[in-house]
Amino acid sequence: MKRLFTLLLVLGLALSITSVWAQSTLVYGTTDKISDIDPANAYDFHTWEIFYNTMDGLVGYAPGGSALVPALATSWSANAASDQFTFKLRKGVKFSDGTPFDARVVKWTIDRNAAIEGDPSWLITDFVKSVEVVDPYTVKFILKNPVAFFPKLLANPPYYPLSPNTFPEGSKGVYVKDPSELKGGVLSGLGTYTMTSFKRDEEIVLDYNPNYWGKAPAYKKVIIRYFADATTMRLALEKGEVDLVYKSLNPSDINDLSKNSKLTVFKNQGPFIRYLAFETSESVFKDKKLRQAITSLLNRPEITQKVYLGQAIPLYSMVPNGMQYQKTTFKTAFGDGNVAKAETILKGLGYTKDKPFTFDLWYSPSHYGDTEANLAEVVKAQIEKTPLVKVTIKSAEWATYKQQWHDKQMAVFFLGWYPDYVDADNYTAAFAGTSGSIGNGIYFSNPDWDAMFTKEQTSTKETERKAVFEKVQDLWVDEVPTAPLFQGYLILVSKKSVTGVKIGPPMIFLYNQLKPVK
Amino acid sequence: MVAARFSPAGWIAALFRWTSSARRKYGGEWWLMVAGVVVIAFILTMTVFPHLFTRFDPNDQNAGSQMTAPSSSHIMGTDNLSRDVWARIVYGAQTILGVAIAAALLSAIIGIPLGLLSGFAGGVFDRILSLIMDSVYSFPGLILAIAFAAMLGPGVINITLAVAVVYIPTYFRLVRGQTLSIKEEVYVEAARAIGARRGTILGRYIFPNVIATVVVVLSLNIADAIMTEAALSYIGLGLPAGIPDWGMDLSMGKKFLPSGIWWMITFPGLMIMLLALGFTMLGEGLAEILNPRLLEK
Amino acid sequence: MVFVMLTLVFVVLRVMPGDPVSAMLGGHAPEKVIQQKKADLGLNKPIGMQYLDYMGKLAHLDLGESMIFKQKVSQPILEKLPATLELTFFGLLLSLGIGIPLGVFAARRRRSGRDYGARLYANVVYCIPVFWMGLLLQLVFGIFLGWFPIAGRTSPRVEVSAFSKTGFYIVDTLRIGNFAAFGDVMWHLVLPSVTLGIVLSGIFVRLTRANMLDVLKSDYILAARARGVPERRVVYNHGLRNALIPIVTMLGLQFALLLAGAILTESTFSWPGMGRLLLERIYLRDYPVIQGVIVVYTLFVSVISLVVDLLYAAIDPRVKY
Repeated sequence: MKRLFTLLLVLGLALSITSVWAQSTLVYGTTDKISDIDPANAYDFHTWEIFYNTMDGLVGYAPGGSALVPALATSWSANAASDQFTFKLRKGVKFSDGTPFDARVVKWTIDRNAAIEGDPSWLITDFVKSVEVVDPYTVKFILKNPVAFFPKLLANPPYYPLSPNTFPEGSKGVYVKDPSELKGGVLSGLGTYTMTSFKRDEEIVLDYNPNYWGKAPAYKKVIIRYFADATTMRLALEKGEVDLVYKSLNPSDINDLSKNSKLTVFKNQGPFIRYLAFETSESVFKDKKLRQAITSLLNRPEITQKVYLGQAIPLYSMVPNGMQYQKTTFKTAFGDGNVAKAETILKGLGYTKDKPFTFDLWYSPSHYGDTEANLAEVVKAQIEKTPLVKVTIKSAEWATYKQQWHDKQMAVFFLGWYPDYVDADNYTAAFAGTSGSIGNGIYFSNPDWDAMFTKEQTSTKETERKAVFEKVQDLWVDEVPTAPLFQGYLILVSKKSVTGVKIGPPMIFLYNQLKPVK
Repeated sequence: MVAARFSPAGWIAALFRWTSSARRKYGGEWWLMVAGVVVIAFILTMTVFPHLFTRFDPNDQNAGSQMTAPSSSHIMGTDNLSRDVWARIVYGAQTILGVAIAAALLSAIIGIPLGLLSGFAGGVFDRILSLIMDSVYSFPGLILAIAFAAMLGPGVINITLAVAVVYIPTYFRLVRGQTLSIKEEVYVEAARAIGARRGTILGRYIFPNVIATVVVVLSLNIADAIMTEAALSYIGLGLPAGIPDWGMDLSMGKKFLPSGIWWMITFPGLMIMLLALGFTMLGEGLAEILNPRLLEK
Repeated sequence: MVFVMLTLVFVVLRVMPGDPVSAMLGGHAPEKVIQQKKADLGLNKPIGMQYLDYMGKLAHLDLGESMIFKQKVSQPILEKLPATLELTFFGLLLSLGIGIPLGVFAARRRRSGRDYGARLYANVVYCIPVFWMGLLLQLVFGIFLGWFPIAGRTSPRVEVSAFSKTGFYIVDTLRIGNFAAFGDVMWHLVLPSVTLGIVLSGIFVRLTRANMLDVLKSDYILAARARGVPERRVVYNHGLRNALIPIVTMLGLQFALLLAGAILTESTFSWPGMGRLLLERIYLRDYPVIQGVIVVYTLFVSVISLVVDLLYAAIDPRVKY
């Protein structure tokens, strides 16, 4: 035993000496998972991030900002009606597999991705009627309706040109899951990096793509390591085994790492929100008075402090902080831990200490990280500050949870929301519009509200939209289809030697912006 | 062993006879058993009179401040929701002990009659049942429990069922084996010869003889069930939040490990070990005293 | 056995609330899409039919395809199995290494202080929850002392794709002579296998002790002692050799325990093995993969008991096949 131990010790030392790493390699850790290596079906932040770095769009966002900049298209123009957009393409650009980039490729990609009808395909099919090849370096999009912000959509991966020599033809439901299913077995693209190795849930290696049209990056190689848990990831960062970690660390780890002088913490308000969803059509919470009462009892700063150790922001509107049109109506209408208000409502409904209002509060234990049980416990304690309510906590795994909200089996439950697009509409209509509401198990339906949402969606006038959203947020505290709880931070922690982290409102993280310093 | 009629009074008397002579005969084992009984008794008292052990409520989120190390006001510290760790342990004993005992009894209640019948009846019924039970027995029990727990969803009753399923074959095999050998004994033959009904033979002659070993196995079994329950809770398939539970508290403490918060994992784990150890020692002591060869088989 | 377990698990899975489709699609998906997906996966057929279909395929050694990911069931299993095997191998080795000597040590003088000491060790260790042991080792050797890594099979800086071929990292790294990577792999194996090894060693102490006691009572030992053979040789050469036969037989039965322990160790040490695969896929309700994992586990247990039987025959000349 002793000898074995010594042997191991020696080997360990040898290892630490040999692991002097080339400066141009970046090791990136995450607990996220990659879904499908196909922009036609992938619809999650992490996989899109891989596409941002291995592919390119006709247009892009300025790194760290939200202004559109030319990318594979050097210029573009719209017709007067805003329902036709023409893009002039960059010449002499080649995919990493050698395929030349031109207008035919753009059309092929859009037709392909639309035909597959994958999860994000609505981003194409809701807007684009057809794509025309005007000449080899000019492409024209003909839209179904006028859409003033159409070029913004082209900055999304479903619009990113794909090489027909790598990706298979589009047919319904047939998409690529792993790079091994691609022709040639390797993901090709027009981006800064090309994926040279892929091991699902373990490791992805990105190498500089010599065919990339733009500037060469400082880090020639990026290794993405997939961690099964945040704890391990944190330790790896502390030991210097990874250079940078992004999504998602435990709150306690963030607090500890912030104190570490060798590390830099990049922190920004994220677009991710958490809320309580009420089933409003059949459950006990059909009565909006009860929804108001429960909402009054919530104490958001206590939640963010106790459960998230301060690494979350209390939220007083479904529209997140820092977003246009936000009005924090929940703060003025309810405040935090407003037991008096809740008791007034509950007493009015005839509930007493001996005959309290009882209900089940549902959570799903792992989908939103392992803090969910704590969240449920804290909220239960807050609600039971009044003796007029008794709460039973129940939990179900995600697959069951979804089934149950679909079947209206949960009266009140915790949910979270990542936006499909960064606009107040996606934080309101998605929960209180008739169709969006069904998808989230809320079953709220009100023709007046639907009319407001239609108005806001079709209007291009800033003041008109503002008026609608403010009215919606005012009405929200009366109807309370959902109760906002808190908003998450986007947190990236890196070694001091890694600089150039830029993540703007569209949440695009480009590795080619990063630079090592001594 | 003799064909004793099953009467509780007789049993207690027999137990006393064993204990007094056993103490002299088996010094070490005796103390092993006593140690087991003491641990069990202590934790049992805790489940019945929790308020005598702590002045805190296990769900009181204002018991102290967040994550403070053990001190005189909180002997085992506080957790991330400012709850008293010791209070959670005291009240959590009810959960784990309740589930483990209920599960072990449940599997005994199902396994013993099946084993008796199977061993007594023989034939195709016996062969099929034995095949199923043997398969389940040699399969990793935890995996089976995981599958059942996932199917049933979280909850006290559900987790009890999931744990119980795993141990049915243990009783079945034990009882069936014994039934097979007792069936051939002279006194059973004799009973059959005088025309006793099958039910009578099973109930009067075979069952009482089997029960002695069952007691030993039950005790060891509870120890196993304790660990299975804790394991299920630990991997998140046990109980919903809100019920103090050692396994779950342990897994909650896991993410604070790198921050050096050792007390959130150390104490619940220690308690799981102690409780399981109590039942193991009791079982082993009993086994050595009742039938020294039982465990070595 | 494979058949029985598989049938059991098959039924359990189908009764479970939630299904792969609801795990995959959000509540957002319209009813039509859900039904379509279910039909695509064959989930709309009666359970009996699904069962026959599956068994038919299995008879041709086809485990089918995952319902969640576009992959054959064999793919994730072949990826994860080596990790579990490496862990269990070292865990077993260690538990035998601790258990057998300690068992012999205890058996040499029954009811002596050392006997009670060894038995107390066996009982205490047996009652330690595997995951707790793992967490304590992580806390002490990983966090406080910082000697060993507490999770995963390799350091993030070791490029697995550079050597991975069989999935057995120890073999792979040695094959290409990458000793730094080999050291790293071994380094990561230390805490998980020690956890598993210690917890399981209790059983082997007990087994060895019981069997040694039996053997040491037998006539030939008495004869050997009478002949004046040194005690040490009596115990090890005559005693242990004969006691090993029943120990090996019992080893087969302990494998179930070893696998169960491995699941918990994997989950504690983020070890990318079969146990974690099973848990992940249970959450996703990926029926074919869950069934595939069960098949592998049962095969594992069956093969081990077969090997044990053969080994038994090899050791004991009286048994012939």
